[in-house]
Amino acid sequence: MAVRTRRRIRARWFGVAFIVLWSLVPIYWTINTSLQTEAQAGSKPAHYVPPTPTLAHYVSLLGDSGELPDQIRRSTINILIECSAATIITVLLSTLAAYAFARMTFRGRNVLFYTVLATMAFPAYTTLIPLYRILGDFGLVNTYTGIVLVYVSGFLPLATWIMYNYLTSLPAAIEEAGQVDGASRMQVLWYVLLPLALPGIVSTAIITFLFSWTQFLFPLVLSTDLSTQPLTVVVQALQGQHVVPTTLLSAAGVIAIAVPAVIGLTLNRYIVSGLLTGSVK
Amino acid sequence: MPSVRQSRASAVVGALSCLALLGTACSGGGTSGSSATKGVKINVALAIPAPPKASLDAFTKATGITVNWTNIDWDSLQTKIAAGATAKTYFADATDVDWSRVGQLGKLNWFYPMETYVDTKSLTADMPQLASFTIGGHVVGIPFDASFLVTTVNTKMFTKAGVTKMPTTIDQYTQDLKQIKAKGGVQYPLNIPFAAAEGLSTYWYQTTAAFGGTILDGQGKPQFATPGSPGYKAAQWMVDALKQGLVPPGNINVSDSQGQQTLMAQGQVASTFGDYSGNIGSLYDVPAASKVVHQVDYLATPGVTGPGPNMSNPDGIGIPRTAKYPAAAAKFIQWFTSAANQADFAGLNGPDKALKSYNFPSRLTAVDQLATKGKLVKGSALSAMLKSSARPVFPAGAPSWYPQFSNSVYTNLHSAATGSLSVDAAIKAIAATANRLASGG
Amino acid sequence: MSEGQLDAPPVTASADGPAGKRRRRFDPLPYLLVSPLALFIIALALVPAAFTIIESFFRVDALDPPTRFIGLGNFRRLFGDHVVLTSAENTLIYVLIGVGLSTVLGIAMAITLQHKFAGRSALIAILILPWALPGVVEGIVWSGIWNANTGLLNSVLTSLHMVDHYHVFLGQHRWRTIALIELVQVWQITPLSALLVLASLQNIPGDLYEAARLDGCSPWAAFRRITLPLARPGVAVAMVQAVIATLNVFDQPYVLNGAASTGSSVMVQTYFISFQNLDFGEGYALSLLITLATLAMSFCVVKLVYRTVEY
Repeated sequence: MAVRTRRRIRARWFGVAFIVLWSLVPIYWTINTSLQTEAQAGSKPAHYVPPTPTLAHYVSLLGDSGELPDQIRRSTINILIECSAATIITVLLSTLAAYAFARMTFRGRNVLFYTVLATMAFPAYTTLIPLYRILGDFGLVNTYTGIVLVYVSGFLPLATWIMYNYLTSLPAAIEEAGQVDGASRMQVLWYVLLPLALPGIVSTAIITFLFSWTQFLFPLVLSTDLSTQPLTVVVQALQGQHVVPTTLLSAAGVIAIAVPAVIGLTLNRYIVSGLLTGSVK
Repeated sequence: MPSVRQSRASAVVGALSCLALLGTACSGGGTSGSSATKGVKINVALAIPAPPKASLDAFTKATGITVNWTNIDWDSLQTKIAAGATAKTYFADATDVDWSRVGQLGKLNWFYPMETYVDTKSLTADMPQLASFTIGGHVVGIPFDASFLVTTVNTKMFTKAGVTKMPTTIDQYTQDLKQIKAKGGVQYPLNIPFAAAEGLSTYWYQTTAAFGGTILDGQGKPQFATPGSPGYKAAQWMVDALKQGLVPPGNINVSDSQGQQTLMAQGQVASTFGDYSGNIGSLYDVPAASKVVHQVDYLATPGVTGPGPNMSNPDGIGIPRTAKYPAAAAKFIQWFTSAANQADFAGLNGPDKALKSYNFPSRLTAVDQLATKGKLVKGSALSAMLKSSARPVFPAGAPSWYPQFSNSVYTNLHSAATGSLSVDAAIKAIAATANRLASGG
Repeated sequence: MSEGQLDAPPVTASADGPAGKRRRRFDPLPYLLVSPLALFIIALALVPAAFTIIESFFRVDALDPPTRFIGLGNFRRLFGDHVVLTSAENTLIYVLIGVGLSTVLGIAMAITLQHKFAGRSALIAILILPWALPGVVEGIVWSGIWNANTGLLNSVLTSLHMVDHYHVFLGQHRWRTIALIELVQVWQITPLSALLVLASLQNIPGDLYEAARLDGCSPWAAFRRITLPLARPGVAVAMVQAVIATLNVFDQPYVLNGAASTGSSVMVQTYFISFQNLDFGEGYALSLLITLATLAMSFCVVKLVYRTVEY
């Protein structure tokens, strides 16, 4: 009995150690490399901690002037605009639609609902080429609009699904009280339901934002120059541009993961609940 | 080009999308360019670094045109040019027109005919490569360098390994490399960029020429399909060199323009068989970028019985149809390809005015200026090659289906290098592709 | 981009307030609420999907106009192209390694987190970190580990005297390249698998284990008889999302190995066929095949793994 408990605790600590190492070692190594000089990073065996930590690579990426800092700065602005716009529109539209699905009956409701869910099972890349050509026909390739439209269309189904589940989990009696008071249905949504569904909205927003941030193939194809390229595309292009040393490339990688990493570490409660609502039902 | 049916579907989609648009203005595609020059800002996208800032500033002062320079790796740049043209989206006012893409571009009409902007007739005498950029009577781009492939050797490493007489044939060359490896000077003496990218194709063309053959005949039929043919032998030689440990194993992921040159500049290899003309002056002899200053020399291409030819691969610059300011772009191209600038880029007036990794002027007047001033690193050797042994890869012009052909060349040669295909199977696959494309399949 | 979700729930007909009379009158509000969503789905998902299906039977080639019907021509060319066939083989290996490894690791991580302990929520935050990062940057992050000159792996193996010189890990041997690239993707998708399995485990009543222990079950037997069967729904969904992710893998092979056939996936091929060769028809055909394969495999996983157990 005691032996067994001890063994179980030992097994758990082994599992905990594995999770921590698995998640953090690659990230640690990138940060470690980014703080070394080119010569230090090239030493064999490698330095497991930076011998003389230097921020030189970050300075050359984020410094005042030059081609590289301009690219990084501009693409950071781009990715923030694209992700924020996609998130706001997605949350807004999915909340409205989920309200209709969860609380109203109307003709064509089930057909539409299942269609929306079915699009989730399709790999998004299936539509990459036609989207590119359709957007091309309308001059929307290489515009914020085009990229945001594509992101929104990609994330709406999941967002609607998550919001639908949050709204249906709220008891109907709450609104009925409101309706007796003569409030319109939109007022009920705004004053009664949304405050209660706030965690769901936060989850939906964070997940949409993170999904937008991780996009690569779509912006790779849909943005052709620095006016719309997100940070991820620019950082990847560094690899081919010149022989960018691994130290500099690592620093660029750290810059590109900083925002999602902070979100992931601080707001993980919402991410977990959103993901689980979105996939297990 | 969208068919009627497609446009109708697009129109429906368009109506819907426009409803869904949340008030963001969108710049329409396919608008014709502006003829404005004063006070405009143009985008120039090439696979080389920008000219010195002082030179660009002088250009802006003289013309009122500001230049925004983008340096993208060659393979990505081609994808962008193609994607931009098919989606009719703007991405640059002036961009790369590679010698190998001329056939395709002539067929697709993606670029403005340059003869409407530049007096190309008077240029012909001064720019021998201009012919390679002319198709169907139109000039697709103006060559800004006269790059051709050369063999570079690190003479210090060769001498140290006891090579007294420089090789003139491929057999001697291979023997010398083995000797360098055996003497322990360099573990992997030969540079071949085996990454699945354009540089691998280019390297094979040069090796095939050295073995005394051509790639395609005038009808686009493959000339390398039989085991005794030069192209076949060239592929075998390249793959064997890797298998025998003459080439660094890591080169399987190294592409030509940057990775390969870096290895040479860092002194990690002793020779590059298909290197770029001008690299010694613009890279290997530049102390800031190189550990082998004054050690590298050009070598007449080792051939079957004596020196072989050098394949020319000039780079051109043209104006895409989607350009916003074609007239301003034309002004820039005139300036960029002028004799005075080419001489400056090649280092006539010192390193401050030189353009990093610039190969070799495309204008004979610029070459002569450099040669008389003795400013061209190894200029006499280069001039001699340019005059006597430089040849186009495709004498009949690059076929319009060249991109797919090249894609087949480098993916299959790469597979042969990794051992997932035999050389024979790789060559067969490349030949099958060429036959299919040539017959319009 | 999309989460795998195959078994849609029944849409519960919910009360629409005291809506006896409203049902007879036309009620525009729900239509207004869902119309933006409907527009997006129709214009940017269904229409493009229809394009893909229809135009995969057409020759749509920027270098070979005009667009014309060619029946199964695109598919024939795909099956005759050994580069595509190689990438299909590669993708199959990606799927096998990726789904297998992410499921096993996901279950192991979920069991670690099954019972409350101090610091569990912090551990969950650390666990989901790789899921939150862009795949393309993860490729860059891991290239620092596989790197032939400065890599962590080379350094560690050399220090342990397991190798005598630095190795090139990527691009030389096909199986090794694929395995290492897939490991990077597993790093990205495992957190979600672990969460999904964990959600299933949280539903298992604790007294089941208590009863098993009193019956003299070993922990291993309890795991096999209780944990695994009851975790099936979570495992099934986890495996479906892994199938979708691995069949469509693009970022990691593209960043770590480029166009090289040693690691190219079908999605990488689709990209090159469409945007480098500009042969959109063939690109459509290939993405259609990928979609069909995704649906078929997801369906098989659900059929084999998904069983709800009553307790």
